[in-house]
Amino acid sequence: MKRQTMILVSVLVLSILLAGCGGGTTAVAPTTKPADTAAPATVEATAPAGEITAVAGVPAICADDGACAVIKPGVTVKIGMGAPMTGDNAAFGQDISQAAKIAVEDAGTFAGFSFELLAEDDGGSAEGGAAVANKFVADPTVVAIAGHIFSGATLAAMPIYEAASIPMMSPSATNPPLTAQGSKVFNRCVFTDAAQGKFAATYLFQNLKITKLAIVHDGQAYGQGLAQVVSDEFTALGGEVVAFEAVTPGESDYSAVLADIASKSPQALYFGGYTAEGVVIVNQMKQSGLDGVTFFGDDGTFGQDFLDRTGANGEGAYSTSLIPPASDARAIFDAAYLEAYGQPAGKLSPYTWTAYDSAAVLIQVIKSVAILSDDGNLYIPRAALVAAVRAVKDYQGLSGTITCDAVGECSASGPVFNIVKDGKWVEAPK
Amino acid sequence: MPIQKEPARRVKPYQIIQAVTGIGCAGYLLYRLYTVLIGSPTYGTETWARFMIAGLILGSVYALIAIGYTLVYGILRMINFAHGDIMMIGAFGGYFTLEAAKSIPAGGSNFSDAYPFAAVLAAFLAGVAIAALSGYFLEKIAYRPLRGAPRLVPLISAIGASIFLENAAQLLFGAQRRDYANPAVLTRGEGWTLVINGAKVILPYTGALTVILSLLLMVALYMLVMRTRLGRAMRAVSENKQVAALMGIDVDGVISQTFIISGALAGAAGVMWGLHLGLVYHFVGFIPGIKAFTAAVLGGIGSVPGAMLGGLFLGLVESLGPAVLGISFQLKDVIAFGILVLVLIFRPTGIVGEALTEEKV
Amino acid sequence: MKNMIRNSLRTGIVFGIITVFLFLVGFTGTAANILADLLNNESAPPLFGWAPPMLNTVIFVGLIGLWAGASGASREKDVAGDPYGAAVLGGGIAGFVQGLLTGLVMALVGTLNERGVMMSKYLAELLPAAVKQAMLGFPPPGAGAFYLLFLTAAGALGGLATRGLGRGGRRPREAIRTWAREKVEVLPWVQSLRRSPAVKYAVYGILLLGILLLPLFAGQYWNYTIGTVGIYVLLGLGLNIVVGLAGLLDLGYVAFFAIGAYAMALLTAPTPHNLMWNFWLVIPIGILLAAVTGILLGAPVLRMRGDYLAIVTLGFGEIIRILSKSDDLSDFTGGPRGVPAVAGPDFFGLNVNSGIAFVYLIFLSVLLVIFVTNRLQNSRVGRAWEAMREDETVSRAMGINTLTQKLLAFAIGAAFAGLGGALFASRNQFTGPEDFNLMVSINVVAVVIVGGMGSIPGVIAGALVLKGLPEMLRQLEDYRVMVFGALLVVMMLWRPAGLIPSSRRKMEIDKDAGLAETAEEGRGK
Repeated sequence: MKRQTMILVSVLVLSILLAGCGGGTTAVAPTTKPADTAAPATVEATAPAGEITAVAGVPAICADDGACAVIKPGVTVKIGMGAPMTGDNAAFGQDISQAAKIAVEDAGTFAGFSFELLAEDDGGSAEGGAAVANKFVADPTVVAIAGHIFSGATLAAMPIYEAASIPMMSPSATNPPLTAQGSKVFNRCVFTDAAQGKFAATYLFQNLKITKLAIVHDGQAYGQGLAQVVSDEFTALGGEVVAFEAVTPGESDYSAVLADIASKSPQALYFGGYTAEGVVIVNQMKQSGLDGVTFFGDDGTFGQDFLDRTGANGEGAYSTSLIPPASDARAIFDAAYLEAYGQPAGKLSPYTWTAYDSAAVLIQVIKSVAILSDDGNLYIPRAALVAAVRAVKDYQGLSGTITCDAVGECSASGPVFNIVKDGKWVEAPK
Repeated sequence: MPIQKEPARRVKPYQIIQAVTGIGCAGYLLYRLYTVLIGSPTYGTETWARFMIAGLILGSVYALIAIGYTLVYGILRMINFAHGDIMMIGAFGGYFTLEAAKSIPAGGSNFSDAYPFAAVLAAFLAGVAIAALSGYFLEKIAYRPLRGAPRLVPLISAIGASIFLENAAQLLFGAQRRDYANPAVLTRGEGWTLVINGAKVILPYTGALTVILSLLLMVALYMLVMRTRLGRAMRAVSENKQVAALMGIDVDGVISQTFIISGALAGAAGVMWGLHLGLVYHFVGFIPGIKAFTAAVLGGIGSVPGAMLGGLFLGLVESLGPAVLGISFQLKDVIAFGILVLVLIFRPTGIVGEALTEEKV
Repeated sequence: MKNMIRNSLRTGIVFGIITVFLFLVGFTGTAANILADLLNNESAPPLFGWAPPMLNTVIFVGLIGLWAGASGASREKDVAGDPYGAAVLGGGIAGFVQGLLTGLVMALVGTLNERGVMMSKYLAELLPAAVKQAMLGFPPPGAGAFYLLFLTAAGALGGLATRGLGRGGRRPREAIRTWAREKVEVLPWVQSLRRSPAVKYAVYGILLLGILLLPLFAGQYWNYTIGTVGIYVLLGLGLNIVVGLAGLLDLGYVAFFAIGAYAMALLTAPTPHNLMWNFWLVIPIGILLAAVTGILLGAPVLRMRGDYLAIVTLGFGEIIRILSKSDDLSDFTGGPRGVPAVAGPDFFGLNVNSGIAFVYLIFLSVLLVIFVTNRLQNSRVGRAWEAMREDETVSRAMGINTLTQKLLAFAIGAAFAGLGGALFASRNQFTGPEDFNLMVSINVVAVVIVGGMGSIPGVIAGALVLKGLPEMLRQLEDYRVMVFGALLVVMMLWRPAGLIPSSRRKMEIDKDAGLAETAEEGRGK
């Protein structure tokens, strides 16, 4: 035993020594290549959308190794996507990748080059997110990422893309802190929980005249974060949050926790989470003593699936969305989705439309920065691409206008509140 | 075990710790009960009734699944990790039957609404049959070749089978969550309305059906194990395979039949789950599987009455525990596992566990 | 003869079900894409009127048919008279039955599809386009008939091939093995090489060198995977002490992994506590915390045995995870959002956070842990553990304080997991509750068992399989995890003792599996 103690002590001493030598420089600085900063971000501004810049030989900004993605003729330009394709949350990954795939098909060919979506399974976890990110980074023809889907995976993947100058456009990672990391590559085309929560609390308090609110969330990053915001805002407005509870995702019986909430007699129940759990709650509210209490869901509970699965129980329920009620582009997309996958769009997850937008906007930006050389190769300057995604302005997507701000928040539209009337979502009175 | 005899009865330190923890926990529980019931009542009677209803229904489903674990464990001393997925298969069997019944026109509406009894019976038969069949093949393919291997080897094989079944179901049926199309008279959430303390408390029809059916099945199973030839053979194989074989029992046959029975029970549980809670998708068996395994151990794994008690107890703890202890419902599993640890500290083989403790990994 | 036909029928049914299943889960389409990659015939001209996707479907189904035929025929060694005829007949019957099942399903599905029935509402992969591709341009009954004929022919060919390749019924693998045993191994220089320790060490040396140089060439993605495998080796080695040596089944091992990771995250990250400690300082703290937790959790429950211990530890693992994401503790742990911006190591001012350097850091930890494990295993403590695993009562009678020994095993196992967790959090620069679910514990148990209980090389092999294999299977897209599950079963059936079993356990399992069980049963009563 004595020797083991000795070893332990020496390890401790050594590590303290090392710690001392390391001296304070603990903050992780993303390793940016010099080329990133040197590249002029104005290249793309000179080229009108849809028209390609052509040069002879290797473009000047691609002189440094790795500064540009070089796509040889016959090779596709790849958009990566990390999403949970297996396990409990597989529906999200499937839906989002299917929608993005349609965007890639719609993009058609571009100066003889076509696009391809690489959807990889990240399981929604940090470990999976980092694995997938490393896989994409290793492939020199992956130029942009339409993802990731869950914030844990996104957080772990972000530094890896940062180092490789690959821009991201997440269709669903709504966690407010994601854009507060100082990342140059991360963008999202959904509104943050902070914005949504504030609007929802105000709507509940002022428009619906609710004073006693119960809040339930699913204990996951998205739902819990949103519920916290709503709780804070609602209290600040002067309302009373009578219950703040969490349900276990994946379970299908929440009647006990709902009975507990019923005993606090709230006027409305705000739910932060996804359709899967939201539907269970709505269906069990009546039998748990919450008859007549208004259900108010977030953008994770919006969609056809909610209507199909709650039926009469869902009548009068609210939810949030960033989807404009209807547009021609959306009708065309919905038809294409149904045709290709045999399911109505929005049935598997509420992020179908933002998923399409995230891939479509990335493709448009890639087109605007790509440089066709007379050696037949397509050059995509990475740093310029990162800057150009951040500079997207007034892009008309299925989910509204997309304009990115300085930190990568690209959803310009505010939330729309919807109510179920006669088995259909209609916009709730303002 | 003669070696374990101590020379003199001396109080050991762990016994003191045990006693102190025991008295402390019991005291705290009593204090909490006093507080929530008499001291400063948090809930009205109607809420307690709702907790009890939710707990009993959930507990009876857990119990039914737990029996499957316990039967297999009793005979093979192995944790059939894929048992929850067998339940999922059963739930899908019932789902497709009810979907079909809904689409057949009959008696003015459709078969399901016109003849609800027949439709539900058909759903149960289909769910039970497909789950029993899966149980049989699961044993034959993934476990039988491993008879005689160290005990953890079949466990890993079971984990592999579980992963396979979950993902195969996802690929076959898609990842979306589906809802049972109950016959109109059994609409989920509808039930008898009791007025307690001036408030309406609903006792769902589907919940009552679940409790009654699972109690019937449990009694039937208990009779089967205790009274029939097969039951005797099962108990004999569970005691000692070699001797049982020498007595002319077809050991492999008995094991196969055990898996069929345990699969059938899981299938029935799956259909009940679907009828009462509505939800069916590829991952639906995972959490109930873990919970039922816990219930089986809580009751004393290997014992059929233990599994029943454990299941009901766990269901009630999940719904009443947070309320009694005044903790948020998010931590209900913490309470459940905490109680499990406490029970096992005092009764290391569960509530009604067998005396046998000399088990190795 | 009758026997042979029965066997062939059975093989045919099994393969028929497999083929139908693969079609229903849409794997035939994915396999066609993979084949297109392998054969590089994506833009090849159509053959027999089939464009490459259809052609590749046909090739894939044909390959299964060949396999069915081969296994249908190889069951019967020698049918009197004509062995070739018997093989063709056996394979043909298997292929015919397989084709019959496949053809019937295809014809049915195709007909429904033509009538506009949306099957994908219930069977997700049966999209109109996919079904159309499987029809190969025939009308549905024609497609069914084609599959029947094609698979029968493939089966017969497969049957014939087993005879042709196997030199009169002997399987090629056996032939090579016999040749090696009879011709090569008797050579004097081979014998002397086999006995020489220098050769052994040279082989080990080259292997080690290869592993050490690997990260320099593997590229970022594989380096990440190698790092994950390395962390699972750490976890596996820790659990190996608990399960493999001390014989305590721990299904909540993830708890210690989580504690190491959270220690690293909470002490070094800017949020939620802004402590920003140094990586090297936190590593021993994480290890110590995990070990102490191991003792605290272990003390009350270690008197339980076998599966009771398993479920209690499982409970602990879940408790830690639920607490780490709960609302009550979210100010302390960061809640479900986890902790971002976890610090990386720096080495005398040099940042080691790049992919390659971190892999070497993990290698170093693995080597250290292997060294410690090795020394422990061969020490008095290690022998006490193994004695305890074999028979607790007897070992107690021999004067081993089993409770202390169990606690020690638990604490050391937990310490390794703590180290693994700290490295894991630092490498991902993020930690959140979803990284510590039950599947991690189960994966680590699987690492130990698949590799071979109680064996250090086994743990490495197990970690490679459990964490490396799913990454290698990425080509299979959505089918990856399903195939992984099936492989796990197959691996256990193929090598129940594990990939590289420890010598002692191998002996037990090889020689008297049945006997050992009898002894165990007898002792139980």
